[in-house]
Amino acid sequence: MNSQVTTFVNDQRDASGTLVVVFLRGGADGLNMIVPHGDDHYHTARPGIGIRRGETIDLDGFFGLNRHLAPLHPWWNSGDLALVHCAGSEDESRSHFEAQDFMEHGGLAAGGWLGRFLRARPDAGQSPLTAVAIGATLPECLRGSPSAAAIQSIDEFGLGPAAPPAFLEGLAALYRATPGELGPAGRSALAAVDRIQALTANRHAPANGADYPADPFSTGLRQIARLIKGRVGLQAATIDLGGWDSHITSPVIMDGPMQQLARGLHAFATDLGAAELASTQVVVMTEFGRRVAENSAAGTDHGRGGAMFLFGGGVAGGKIHVDWPDLDTQLTGPGDLPVLNNYRDVLAPVLARLAPGTDLSAVLPGHPLQPLPLYS
Amino acid sequence: MIPRRSLLKAAAAGGAVAGVGGFSALSKWAAPLLADSGDGFDPFRAPEAGDIDDASHVINRLTFGPRPGLHQEVTRIGARAYIARQLDADSIDDRWTDARARRFEALHAWPLGELLEYDSRELLDQLTRHKILHATRSRRQLKEVMVDFWSDHFNIDPSKGDSRWLKPADDRHVIRAHALGKFPDLLKASVLSPSMLWYLDGRVNQRASASGGPNENHARELLELHTMGVHGGYTQRDVMEVARCLSGWTVRERAKDRFAVGKVEFNPERHDDGPKTVLGSTIPAGLGEGDLDRVIDLLVRHPSTARFIAEKLCRRFIADTPPPSAIKVVADTFSRSAGDLRTTLGALFETPEFWASRGNRIKRPFHFVVSALRATAARTDGGPALQDHLLRLGHAPFQFPTPDGYPLEARPWMATLLWRWKFALDLAGQAIPGTSFPEERLVTSAGSQASFAAHLLGRLPTPEEMVAATSSGAPLAMLLASPAFQTF
Repeated sequence: MNSQVTTFVNDQRDASGTLVVVFLRGGADGLNMIVPHGDDHYHTARPGIGIRRGETIDLDGFFGLNRHLAPLHPWWNSGDLALVHCAGSEDESRSHFEAQDFMEHGGLAAGGWLGRFLRARPDAGQSPLTAVAIGATLPECLRGSPSAAAIQSIDEFGLGPAAPPAFLEGLAALYRATPGELGPAGRSALAAVDRIQALTANRHAPANGADYPADPFSTGLRQIARLIKGRVGLQAATIDLGGWDSHITSPVIMDGPMQQLARGLHAFATDLGAAELASTQVVVMTEFGRRVAENSAAGTDHGRGGAMFLFGGGVAGGKIHVDWPDLDTQLTGPGDLPVLNNYRDVLAPVLARLAPGTDLSAVLPGHPLQPLPLYS
Repeated sequence: MIPRRSLLKAAAAGGAVAGVGGFSALSKWAAPLLADSGDGFDPFRAPEAGDIDDASHVINRLTFGPRPGLHQEVTRIGARAYIARQLDADSIDDRWTDARARRFEALHAWPLGELLEYDSRELLDQLTRHKILHATRSRRQLKEVMVDFWSDHFNIDPSKGDSRWLKPADDRHVIRAHALGKFPDLLKASVLSPSMLWYLDGRVNQRASASGGPNENHARELLELHTMGVHGGYTQRDVMEVARCLSGWTVRERAKDRFAVGKVEFNPERHDDGPKTVLGSTIPAGLGEGDLDRVIDLLVRHPSTARFIAEKLCRRFIADTPPPSAIKVVADTFSRSAGDLRTTLGALFETPEFWASRGNRIKRPFHFVVSALRATAARTDGGPALQDHLLRLGHAPFQFPTPDGYPLEARPWMATLLWRWKFALDLAGQAIPGTSFPEERLVTSAGSQASFAAHLLGRLPTPEEMVAATSSGAPLAMLLASPAFQTF
């Protein structure tokens, strides 16, 4: 028997944490989410769709949270939520496809950044349930993962509800008697099956009075929370929230997704509770932000710098990371927020916290990493 | 899914040799099984030994696993004759597979620029289906095993840049063209593969000038991964000198060129034409694109390359930690034959170490999936449902991000058992859309549940295996999920 092969699924392993990546597809307008209400240029550039000073939830006297993001405010106050403004990639195409592709691959690189991370971390490939993507297909960022399952529901996970009990007994008998590496690996997989079956049989309500709305985003987050709480060895989960392409009538387009985002994340964090949240990291990202000035249809066009949200264990929250640019003189291209925080510099400290010792220059190549000080 | 009409389930519980007639009753009308036309198979004789016999061993190692009747065929012609036949792949009639492979029209696009007309996701899908088709159905099984081997050795994840359109050309003109050919030809084809020039940045490697400079990425992997191995004895200086030799080779790019996109060109202006010293040998100034042949020659002749390739081949065909005695024989043959792969493999298959190590390797997930499809004579479209299983297993073809390719060793795959069991249940339960197998005919043709189990496992099942299978509620799934079916 090989002593290096241990039981992969145990309480210890989940303590290393789960990364949840929320991708806002369509180019979310960071300016109207984390509103620089103290910046006159902002109000000048957006006379119609700008959020007025008194209409935001003030964060620090200069920035305010869009009121549709109100459910996130308690997490800001408790220091669990950090915000990054002027975040994005160096891709200048302003094309949804190109920019998403670039960001998810991590530049001109093979595989996705998350897939590479899961392969490169020192404990790579030991968990049978490395990663899940909520949805019909895997996102590009998970390309190359040691294992990745696209699931709509937790019921599709593991062997599924139809595996006959005698089947597991038979496997247990055969693997118990197997020498070499297969025996312990079989027992580890059986332990994972037990965990998953306990999860799927268990229809308990979310914890701590968490109230998930019924939309698909929140339903997906609820599944992720169950997997995290079930300690099945999950290292990463991805989930998308679309509908951000606010070329026209910005509030009509964005208010709904903002509410879904905030309510979903609020329920998720509440459900996890302090103990589980301490070993969870949630990153919210988008392919690009939008033009500073509103267009003739009360919307905004594709821009560059956007917003990222980070919350989870150890985050130095209650802080907005940005060296705010002069919106009159420091815009880029046709009038876009510049990218002052490369998204890799946001991801790098998160990944380093989840898996210390990972060679991040291989995970996030093509950019000299300068990790933001996101943790206390 | 629980299979409703589970294979083997109807047989008397616990009766290891109960079944529909037993083999002797069937042998009278067992037709010659050499001609595996279409998906057909006839009543067949499964292995009858308690241990892996010569035929099962050769099937295990040289193929993606037994199809119904293959063990009988190999037993009839002899294991060594089967090896010889597989080494001479071109002489094997594979018209059935060839005809179906032609349906993947994108993969045959010519000139290369045609590939760029396709959605890159469509190309990846066709590449994947094409590979699954060949692995499951080609009668040139050793060639397919070597295609798989070289696809990892010269790994390209085509999701980088124009690679996503150009990998089909690499698969066809590099990997498949030379899988059982001569290593120097394979190596040169790979160096000049447009997909590889993208993947390892060779396209931007040029002499130092105002417009750029050397890029060592391709040169380093050429030494470290493709030829000599990381401990092969080359220096950083060798890497830089090889990069100089390869400078000037580039690819016409989708973003810059309107015509002949994907065409590989040598640009003398970008080539560093000064003298170089590679591995102690001088390459004189002024050879231009001739530098490449000098480098290939030096690398192929180097004993580290022979040893590195031999060790990997022995890992694939003998053991995770291959015996040094076998590595030496194979390396010597590689050197003597100037990298003739058929000669080299022939020598490997004659080593006593090859014959002595049976059932000690663990299938990688792709091998596991394909061997299950072959054993059950499954028809598959290789489509999204099957590919989803490969993704869960972490072994989707052409999706390994780094140049070292999917690992050959067992350890990185040990956490995949759960998804293997899920695949076994889904396949046995006919619950994979686009994939199905002829359940009733398999039962009939195998003759008995024990002989069908022997067909799957390459030897007679143990009493414990039969008990686990017959009492499991899903006997075929249990056998596919069992430890023995994970090994080869």
